[in-house]
Amino acid sequence: MNTQPTTRRGFLKTTGLTTAVLGFPTIIPSSALGNADTPPPSERIVMAGIGLGNQGGGDMGNFLGMKDVQYVAVCDVRQSVRDTRKGKVDAQYKTKDCAAYNDYRELLAREDIDAVHVATPDHWHAQIVIDACRAGKDVYCQKPETRNLAEGPLMVAAARRYGRVVSGGSQRVFADYRDTVQKCWGGELGTIKSINVNVGPLPQACNLPAEEVPADIDWERWLGPAPWAPYNSKRCDGNFSTGGNSWRSYSDYSSGGLTDWGAHHFGGATFAVDVRELQPSEVIYHDEGGKKFLTFKYPNGIELTHNMPGKGNLEVVGAAGSYVHAANPKPGEIVKPWVATAPGETRPAKPVPGYSVKGGIFADFINCVKTREKPFRDIELAVNTAVLCHLGMLAYTVQRSLKWDAAKQQFPGDEEANRFLDNARREPWQL
Amino acid sequence: MLDETFDALKTYDWGVDPKILRPLDEAVVAAHGNAAACKVLEDRLIAVLKTDAPRAAKDAICRVLRTIGTVASVPALTALLADDKLSHMARYALERIPAPEAGNALRSALPKAAAKQQIGVLQSLGARHDATAIPALQVMLGSKDPGVAPAAARALGALALPAANKALASAKPTAAIADASMACAENLLAGGLKADAKATYQRVLASTPAKPVQFAATLGLKACAGG
Repeated sequence: MNTQPTTRRGFLKTTGLTTAVLGFPTIIPSSALGNADTPPPSERIVMAGIGLGNQGGGDMGNFLGMKDVQYVAVCDVRQSVRDTRKGKVDAQYKTKDCAAYNDYRELLAREDIDAVHVATPDHWHAQIVIDACRAGKDVYCQKPETRNLAEGPLMVAAARRYGRVVSGGSQRVFADYRDTVQKCWGGELGTIKSINVNVGPLPQACNLPAEEVPADIDWERWLGPAPWAPYNSKRCDGNFSTGGNSWRSYSDYSSGGLTDWGAHHFGGATFAVDVRELQPSEVIYHDEGGKKFLTFKYPNGIELTHNMPGKGNLEVVGAAGSYVHAANPKPGEIVKPWVATAPGETRPAKPVPGYSVKGGIFADFINCVKTREKPFRDIELAVNTAVLCHLGMLAYTVQRSLKWDAAKQQFPGDEEANRFLDNARREPWQL
Repeated sequence: MLDETFDALKTYDWGVDPKILRPLDEAVVAAHGNAAACKVLEDRLIAVLKTDAPRAAKDAICRVLRTIGTVASVPALTALLADDKLSHMARYALERIPAPEAGNALRSALPKAAAKQQIGVLQSLGARHDATAIPALQVMLGSKDPGVAPAAARALGALALPAANKALASAKPTAAIADASMACAENLLAGGLKADAKATYQRVLASTPAKPVQFAATLGLKACAGG
């Protein structure tokens, strides 16, 4: 979609139908203003952040440091977080202008905001992303983008309906698995047969005792669409552990390591073996001598295993060789050198997709906001990764194999499994 | 061990180690495909649900009934729909029970519920993709409560059927009506009903001035034209 050369202020003031239907910010090149380095504030992408704890604060730092971003508002359910993040934005611009919100809907109602980044706990992602699309905002959403299988299609639908640029998170998909990606896309391994991902743990139920709700937090809003539970500091702690004592550990808000690091590893694995645009048609549950693992079968014949005994993380097997790379192996982690098995089976190299510009996933998103391209982690690709996590979680829960109809987004003929597609949201929240 | 779990469930409260419920989870897994075994579990769960067990216990029971609940669970769950504290978890189960009686119960509860619970029930009716709910949803489009009418619109959008589209067209235009209408239009277009989809987008374009909606409807018309 081409932009019309006009000033941003001119765009905002326009009331005619033609420009009223423009759904994207109109940017003029900074060089046209005589400043090749930094666009003036009026010509930058106006951004805000929702959910600015540990990860969100880091994401904010990335966007705040970008010359073509004007950061104008922060939103978090904790007063202390709002204060700290607002302070950082104000210090950056040497003003006191950054707005601070508890209710993200007030932020989304601002017409001057072009884009938001979202780093709330997972159980909020779908609601906020969809509402942001409805409000005409482009969105960068942390991984895992969804909490269950029903949310993904609704998020993709909202992005497409409103013509929004929506990027999933995970800078690691492109950056962390380069060697494996190169070996696969470079043809050395020949036709790819399988790849393994080792990640965990699964989430756990949370039944922590009630504590007094601190004045700092809006507890009702932190819970949002999740089932009500009394406040407990460990229930909502945003530390990065997944073994308990953090929301990442608990099944009402996340899916433990399976989604937390799984979004990275499954994302990297599906990128390496080029099934990003697909969803598996089957997940086979294995329980061999108490060792539980999964095999996801893709329609094109590729298999992706989860926690297969004896296999390394992102261990890939092709017709011509096998490989597993771990730049910084953890104790006990399997690392194997590249092994050529049938040199004659190598395939021609194919160009590896990447970000639209240099500067990582954040720059990619901002560039796509300007150009209206789909970002590297377009929401549809991000959802396909999350589907793996949710299918896997369900297979481990019901302890059996499952067939998945990606076109219909359901488990054919499996009433029990279909009950898990979605979960009722706590009123008043509704996608 | 399961008997101990059911005994513990009667007084299960926040702060109790949830591991005590693991035998129940394992029993549910083991009962897969065995209707008789599921019924035994379900009956025992319903019995506790009807007592004055703590909220945490009823929360846990509703989670299990979400997996194995049948028409037998519907009365006990329906009784909780008007309870401000338990309505959500009652829906957590009811929404996922395929039996038509679950849908009937949700529809029946709608007129009697407080606005907050109505919003939840409307959400669950939409999630069930139950076309028989359309008349009830259409009635709620006229609610004076600022949360209820949009919830009814979104539920109709979740259904995205021609009858839902017709109901939305009869209502006063709002952003929620527009969004739901466009969901219907997408379905119409996917089904090859281009003229109906185009008419829907044109209706939205003419009736809802919000810029994101205008842009979305324009994109929709472009899709109808094959762009």
